[in-house]
Amino acid sequence: MDLGKFEEDNSQSCRLSSAVPEVCKTQDCCLGIDEAGRGPVLGPMVYGICYCPISKKTDLQDLKVADSKTLSEAERENLFGQLEEANGYVGWALHILSPNTISTGMLQRAKYNLNALSHDAAIGLVQYALDCGVQVKELFVDTVGPAEKYQEKLSQRFPGIVVTVRPKADSLFPIVSAASICAKVSRDRVVKSWKFVEDLGEVDTDYGSGYPNDPKTKAWLAKYLDPVFGYPQFVRFSWSTAQTIMESKAVPVHWDDDEQDGEKAAAKQNCASMLSYFSRKKPESAGREPHRYFAERRLETVENL
Amino acid sequence: MSCKLGDRGSYIRSANFESYSTFASLPDVGSLYLFGGGDLQLYEVKAFNEDYHSWFIGQTVQRDGRLLYVTPMDPLYLLLPYLLKAGKEGKFQPVDQIVVDEEFPGCRRVLSCARALKSLGHVAEEREVGSQKFHRYSQEKTMVWLKKKVDRTVKALKNSKICVGGGVKSSTFFRTTQQSDVQEEDYIRYAHGLISEYIPEELCKELLTYLQLPETTSPVSVEPPIKKRKLSDKPVEAEEDYTKFNSGDLGKKPVKKLTAAQKTLAKVDKTGMKSLSAFFSPKAKTEKK
Repeated sequence: MDLGKFEEDNSQSCRLSSAVPEVCKTQDCCLGIDEAGRGPVLGPMVYGICYCPISKKTDLQDLKVADSKTLSEAERENLFGQLEEANGYVGWALHILSPNTISTGMLQRAKYNLNALSHDAAIGLVQYALDCGVQVKELFVDTVGPAEKYQEKLSQRFPGIVVTVRPKADSLFPIVSAASICAKVSRDRVVKSWKFVEDLGEVDTDYGSGYPNDPKTKAWLAKYLDPVFGYPQFVRFSWSTAQTIMESKAVPVHWDDDEQDGEKAAAKQNCASMLSYFSRKKPESAGREPHRYFAERRLETVENL
Repeated sequence: MSCKLGDRGSYIRSANFESYSTFASLPDVGSLYLFGGGDLQLYEVKAFNEDYHSWFIGQTVQRDGRLLYVTPMDPLYLLLPYLLKAGKEGKFQPVDQIVVDEEFPGCRRVLSCARALKSLGHVAEEREVGSQKFHRYSQEKTMVWLKKKVDRTVKALKNSKICVGGGVKSSTFFRTTQQSDVQEEDYIRYAHGLISEYIPEELCKELLTYLQLPETTSPVSVEPPIKKRKLSDKPVEAEEDYTKFNSGDLGKKPVKKLTAAQKTLAKVDKTGMKSLSAFFSPKAKTEKK
């Protein structure tokens, strides 16, 4: 697996894929989808698909691919090697969602939440397989959110394909297990060899699993907080772990879509809250209102410097 | 002398700032002006200031996202309030006596600006006795001068395609095309408003009359004062007795004409239908038994 394409610019998302085996273009195929790195505060989330002809399902089972979570890293690497050797009938594709994509998506004005991001990544990969000529007839997916809704969404999106959405699909269907191995292996490699675009000097790469409850991850987050910028792009800013630290330790930053309610917001926006109508106050400025030329351009007189 | 601009660390050389009030009527509000070129030039300082802005400058962050504009200014605007004030005494006085301000001693520096002394003639009558000059504020001259300023501003507004119509309210939206229904009066009124930023309030109204602009009725509708209830010891009585319409003598009421739709509805067989009010009354207890 060549991660070069992603490492070139790890602020963007990127798709990696194997060559499409010829049999997959002629025979009916099954396709499994799984993801790795949904929970961690560090690193990318990787979506993986694996596909093979339905007739070759047993061959896949013989490789003893299993849920990636039950395997050690070495076992996963070994199995991925076997999947690559089986390239005569097994194909895969990956969509690496960079932590930056996740942060900016979830924190933008029109929120793009993780579930929507996940669904779109999965749909994109299936469409990619179809575009490559893979004869997908069966689709197996580990669920994200309510299984029924997701199944309905995928069935509508891909008419003619039998969609099966199940929780724990990665331990039920070998093709999903294979997809989970591809996703997990690539995420491990990306995280291990993360190239920081930021100039951090010698970076301490001992950040543990990247999950919020890992003490090593916590220590790393505490160490690499910049009071102004927060974190390198390696960190998912949208995670409450990161946000809590930034709120308490970093410089406060206010955005004009900050959600605040009540009097605080009213005071900030300089609009009168209901309460102010009941208190008798001297009008704030005895002077004239600035002409609208200045008001519209937000130009004001400078009183001191 | 030099003065530091913000935290940027850059300096404007051979210039300095002076706090000074434009409006003699508002002595506690000082505005900042900049003198340049050995006090020959006068500049006003305006700041673009909008919420939620900050600067990245070199390797530093400036939390205040203000952008300062230093623009040339006619020194006469700053001298005018003093002339006006002294003019109330109706005497010819030397400039040294007119331009005096304990609050802002820097005001005297305005006099050394290029053309400042010469331009006094635009707003004041001059008399020369010996080598000394005496001035007295003149309303007529000032109006003529201000009208010229308004005319020039109108020209500038047209040249820079400033939208003067009533439509624009948003700070982020500017019309690029000129509205066709914008009239000359809109331009003059807008220019008058701009000039008014620089002159004492009493002159604004005078100028409005001089420009033969009718006073606009404020579009802001003033809310009628809340009616106060008269307090008295007498028991409160309803002004109208609505109960009389509910009494039995319905026959007295004039029979309303029914619309065609109501007539057809009236003919419908209503047997077995519940009346609308039945849905809101408690259910008959007999049914429960």
